[in-house]
Amino acid sequence: MYAMVAAGLALMLGVARLINFAHGEFFMLGAYAFWYAYSEWGLPYPLAALLAPAVMVLFGIAYQRSVIRAILPRSWHVQLIATLATSIVLTNLAIIVLGAQPKEVPTMLSSRILALGGFRIVWQRLLVLAAALLIFWALQRFVACTRTGKAMRAMSQNREACAVVGVDVQRVAMVTFALSAALAAAAAALVSPLFNIFPDMGTTLTLKAFAAVVAGGFGYVNGAIAASFLIGLTEAFAGSYISYAYKDAIAFLIMIAVLLWRPQGLFGRRIGI
Amino acid sequence: MRYALTLALLLVMAFSAGAQAPPIKIGFASAMSGPAAITGEGVKWGATLAVEEINAKGGVMGRKLEAYFADNKAQPGEAVSAVRKLADVDQVDVIIGQTHSGACLGAMPVVKEIGIPMVIEACSHPKIRELSGKGRNEWTFRVALDDEIMAHTFARYIARTGVKSSSILAMNNDFGRGAAIAYEAAFKKANVKLLSTDFFDPGQPDYRPVLTRIKRAGAESILAVILASDGAPFMRQYHEVGLTQRVFSRGSLTTAEFLHQVKDNPKIGDGVIEASYWINTLDPEWDKKWTERYKVPPRVHGSLAAITLKWAVVPALEIALKKHGKADRQTIRAALEEVDVKDSPLGPIKFDANHQAWINMILIEMRDGQLKILEKLPTSPALLN
Repeated sequence: MYAMVAAGLALMLGVARLINFAHGEFFMLGAYAFWYAYSEWGLPYPLAALLAPAVMVLFGIAYQRSVIRAILPRSWHVQLIATLATSIVLTNLAIIVLGAQPKEVPTMLSSRILALGGFRIVWQRLLVLAAALLIFWALQRFVACTRTGKAMRAMSQNREACAVVGVDVQRVAMVTFALSAALAAAAAALVSPLFNIFPDMGTTLTLKAFAAVVAGGFGYVNGAIAASFLIGLTEAFAGSYISYAYKDAIAFLIMIAVLLWRPQGLFGRRIGI
Repeated sequence: MRYALTLALLLVMAFSAGAQAPPIKIGFASAMSGPAAITGEGVKWGATLAVEEINAKGGVMGRKLEAYFADNKAQPGEAVSAVRKLADVDQVDVIIGQTHSGACLGAMPVVKEIGIPMVIEACSHPKIRELSGKGRNEWTFRVALDDEIMAHTFARYIARTGVKSSSILAMNNDFGRGAAIAYEAAFKKANVKLLSTDFFDPGQPDYRPVLTRIKRAGAESILAVILASDGAPFMRQYHEVGLTQRVFSRGSLTTAEFLHQVKDNPKIGDGVIEASYWINTLDPEWDKKWTERYKVPPRVHGSLAAITLKWAVVPALEIALKKHGKADRQTIRAALEEVDVKDSPLGPIKFDANHQAWINMILIEMRDGQLKILEKLPTSPALLN
């Protein structure tokens, strides 16, 4: 979950040089889109899980055209306030429109347990792992092999130079936001059957994903993915062996430690994404 | 003829005065936004339903009620703003709230400073009782029981079931931490060995690390201080990790609200026993009205806010209006001290010197996806010993 959300956040930071503090709300809206398709419309799980990212692609485009386009040339202060404000507005809109009652979207796989000796895991978690690996592979191929992916990589190195040589900077930024929103929604559709969907679910997630992006190398997608796994594992071990209440604090301590050790992040390098 | 005309004129004046009598303003403070917004939404629904019900019957001695709401975000600082908004902007006569212990503790000094009565419907931190009443905070009254009151009875019950050791898993807020302290002492007294205490932030997606930790501690039972909104992922992951410990709870795990969330597998909470003071079956008529109106089962905090209004605040308003002909803040505060309701859905409501009502405590069990009251116990200050 962290990895897919962090990958989207890293894409935005890498390509648009913008930290989207409303990214957790992309995840929340993706989860609600999935809930609506799966529970309200009664679509089969695979179809609902594909529909949620499709809806969020449209949302990502709308967000880029309405909020991001206006703030992209402005200072980072303006960008921070605007995306933070969007996050608050989206959370509270969700409370007003969808209600505060947590939604449950259990699937057939979310309560079936695979038990191998002392190891127990629900099948849905294995599906999350397999789907995440597939999505990351597809993302890699997209960024490395397609024309738009190459433009995204170029923009992450030098936006001005891209504009000079004719790259449609706004279009590439729009694709980046659409892709990031789709990644967040895909994560939501995969993990929502394991817990509740509620309006505030994206708030902490944004901070965790941001920690992964920073620790992973400021906009370097593979670094963010690796750092997400590191944070997830640390949280699990800290929660299990040190203190569950302070597991979040421990995750952020790791980010600080990484930055002290390697200010450019774990995998920081010149090419952004 | 002249007398008849004068009498008629007086009657007309009296009736027109009655018709023009200003409404009594009731303020409700709860978490309307943020991670605990589900409680505030419930309070808003419950209060709206209760006020409509009272007004449909003619109001309180001919005076209609008006509900006002403020958002405390379940935080002490925001609770201060919520009280000020209700008291200064909306000019309410009495406040019902604040649902969350931290918010209650934050609001208490400011209700005292302003001089506005606040009737607490749900906060269960033991400190609230210590700080309220004559010579302390005379403006705060509490209907809800706290964990110090319930802990000894519940711990003795847990020991009676043969449990020798327990782990506590509580919400990382004033409610959870207050309960953890109360149960630590109560377990000691009941000879139940406490093997571990852990806290979690509400809204957690992953309880497996802490459940693994509890599994390692090897206690025979878990006391979970948890709300219905977190209950579903908690119980699902309890089974995923393969725990077999008995689960006892405080909060709102054994509620219709929880069962509504686990419709796909209603037996997931089977065997959980909770110490509480409210269950939807205590008032079937309310249950029916709520479900018809909101299409979901009644929520704990909304129902408690409504009960507090109907069985504590309305009787106080009646006393104030009957005795003094007015219902201002000072008169309502004094009248609350005189409230003596014998038969509310929660049991008797009469505030003692600490402004604490000693309502009934109930033990609820989930079995076959249904809720069942195991015991209904009257409470008294003797339970604190």
